[in-house]
Amino acid sequence: MADQNKAEIDGKFYSEILSPSELFAARSRSHKLPVKGQKDFIPDGSEEQRRRLDQSLSEHWSLISEERVERLGNLVKAKWIPAERIVELQSPAGKFWQTMGFSANGKQLLQPEEALYLMECGNLQVFSQDLPLSIQDGYESFLSSSSVSLQQYQVFGHLKRLGFVVHRFDPSLEPSCYVRQLNLPPSRDRAARQQKRKRSPSPGTTSRSVDQSATRPEHQDSSSADRMEEEEVQEGHRDLSEGHLSSTSSAGPAGRGRSWWQTDTPQDQSDGSAGSSHTHADRRPSFALFPDLGSKERLSSALLPPDPSLLPGGLEVGTCDVASWRKKINLREVKMSSKEREREEDRSRRRWDVNRDRQVLRCRNWAEYRELLSRRERRSRGRQEHLWNHEVTPLHDPRQPISTEELLEKITVTQSTNLLEGASSIKEWDEWRICFSVYQPDTVADFRKSSPGKPYARVCVCSFDGPVPDLRAVKLLTFQSGDVPVVFAVVDCGDLSFYTFKDFQLPTDVYP
Amino acid sequence: MRFESSRMERPEDSARVVGVSVCDSAPLLWRVEDLRSVRRRGLVGALLGSLPRSPRQNCRMGRPLLLLPEEERLLGESRTAAAALPAPRQDGAQLELRVRRHEEEQQRSFEEQSVLALEDRKSSLLCAMTSPDTGSPPEAGAMDESLQRRLEDLDRSFVFPRSALGVQLSTARAGLSYCPEARAFLQAEWPIRGGQNGLSRDTKYQVFRDLRGRGFCLTSAGKFGGDFLVYPGDPLRFHAHFIAVCLAADEAVGLLDVLAVARLGSNVKKTVLLCSPAEDGAVTYTSLQWSGMV
Repeated sequence: MADQNKAEIDGKFYSEILSPSELFAARSRSHKLPVKGQKDFIPDGSEEQRRRLDQSLSEHWSLISEERVERLGNLVKAKWIPAERIVELQSPAGKFWQTMGFSANGKQLLQPEEALYLMECGNLQVFSQDLPLSIQDGYESFLSSSSVSLQQYQVFGHLKRLGFVVHRFDPSLEPSCYVRQLNLPPSRDRAARQQKRKRSPSPGTTSRSVDQSATRPEHQDSSSADRMEEEEVQEGHRDLSEGHLSSTSSAGPAGRGRSWWQTDTPQDQSDGSAGSSHTHADRRPSFALFPDLGSKERLSSALLPPDPSLLPGGLEVGTCDVASWRKKINLREVKMSSKEREREEDRSRRRWDVNRDRQVLRCRNWAEYRELLSRRERRSRGRQEHLWNHEVTPLHDPRQPISTEELLEKITVTQSTNLLEGASSIKEWDEWRICFSVYQPDTVADFRKSSPGKPYARVCVCSFDGPVPDLRAVKLLTFQSGDVPVVFAVVDCGDLSFYTFKDFQLPTDVYP
Repeated sequence: MRFESSRMERPEDSARVVGVSVCDSAPLLWRVEDLRSVRRRGLVGALLGSLPRSPRQNCRMGRPLLLLPEEERLLGESRTAAAALPAPRQDGAQLELRVRRHEEEQQRSFEEQSVLALEDRKSSLLCAMTSPDTGSPPEAGAMDESLQRRLEDLDRSFVFPRSALGVQLSTARAGLSYCPEARAFLQAEWPIRGGQNGLSRDTKYQVFRDLRGRGFCLTSAGKFGGDFLVYPGDPLRFHAHFIAVCLAADEAVGLLDVLAVARLGSNVKKTVLLCSPAEDGAVTYTSLQWSGMV
């Protein structure tokens, strides 16, 4: 106490406090900013220049030294709680409550950066230990590297002064990457989803549509789908008896060639019991070559049920009636001129039907078929055999047809990638993190704190002194932010610059 | 190489010590007198806060003033900066005393402002009563009487509401500017700032000191891809002429970097200055100019 008095006497006590008459006179202050005039290029020592400089400087000082004076009725009272680093409002909040602050325990609270901004705007008076805090006190108490740093506050203030709504970013409130990947529609009925699947399965195969891959863990769904397929197949169960007979004929060793097609005429059936399968094998397509449903040949209108040894246990599949399908295709007779007909006949004569290929028919299973194919391929290569014999083989056999796009893909050295590839596996670390979410200023009128909507951008604060964000940091932050662009606010001793990285795909000229 | 050697017109003040307060390890100046004296020495700094007159714009900012690390070091070396005292921690009786004093001051202010408000109202009443009567010859007696009555009514019934009280939200904290003993601890306590290593900091500082000595004003130039923006005089009145890029004398710099910074400079119509301090303290300057082949 004594020291303080001494200092006052010495004149080192400094205060910028206004007298009551000055406070009263502040009502009639102008709120206009002086216009910055044209700058000169070079100092030439002229009186004119000196006068202008003096004028600029005196304007500058009068603006800088002006103190904030507000009507007591316009000020909202608040209290600083250092333990929780939060500011508690003690009188009702004003218009700022629409976009700032939050409620907890029945009290209205403000984050320290929000409170400091409102203090600087002259809307809030914060007390600590019943004494009003100056702006300097606010800066020193509220800002620290552990909560909100000075640089982050600079960015916050800058954006708020432009009119944006700025909130702290809370990573825990963001939907996780997995949830976003699933991209689940807002919850609909199970039934509706099943409806969708009913349209797609094809007979005789377990349907694995792309939709299902995302929900593989849901066993219940897939089993219900299976049940539906069974029902579908059961529908085609017209000739049950015939089905039975054919199934017995195919009950022989699995390797035996068996026909897809159910025999039409009962004579074929009665022709032979076990032996019929052999003859069938001779005449009909072999082990697993798929039925040509679109062929013009007059084939049976029903597919035999698959070999039960190939099916998962306990499944009973009957014959499949494809008559309805075949009625829908080859509806129109293509009218060809005589010349075209000749050409077509020529082509069909020369066309190689895999089902009639003797060597293919001799194969009893896929392994043998593959061997046959590889043998044929080797033979067809002929003179370039040596190229294919070693570890390193040509990328592509020129005799095989291939589209330009596929060929280019084969010879690319690097794969094109996008920004988010591999981003989910990057672990967070403290150096780079998103500080704020920023919302558009024109939504302020109907902004609701409880449901703010999608932010305009997310801001990460860094400085020119620090490192430039590397790819890892950019990936991590883009991933954390979801589909909202990330903006880097770079602070340089009072100046702010904003940068953002955008994902970009090189255009491709090649179409398949 | 071309040098500007104009000097600042104002005579420098004999060393007035400014109180530097540290906020989140950044050196800030809060008091107008401190800002003035620092400006007189040719150190510009950067204003960070909202301007009280119009706080919702970013063109003109207000206090506090952030000092560049080089400016802070310069002040420290010339012993014209001291660490400002932190907010005094008080409790118990001292706190109560301060709170009571604050309340008394506010009450006194309220009473004074009420008086001023009443006078203000009276004078505006007088203006309103007398000015419309300049045309017709005033019946002096009657006018004075009704005026007198109105004024007396005002005296009796006028109430200055508490909510209309003008309250100051101080920018700087009132109190001692610095403690004399603190000056001695100034250099030792200066926290290490930023991610720069010692060598680049020293290089920058030497260049800063040399340019400042020649009368130029310097501000930060991160946006221009350099270390400093060099003004021939006060930045309020002049455009920057140079972008200074500080390089150590033995630092290797790639040709592409030189090209990039030269391009940048020519785009913003400023000359790029490559600055390298020598062993003896003198600084070598090389300017880059984009010239065509023709």
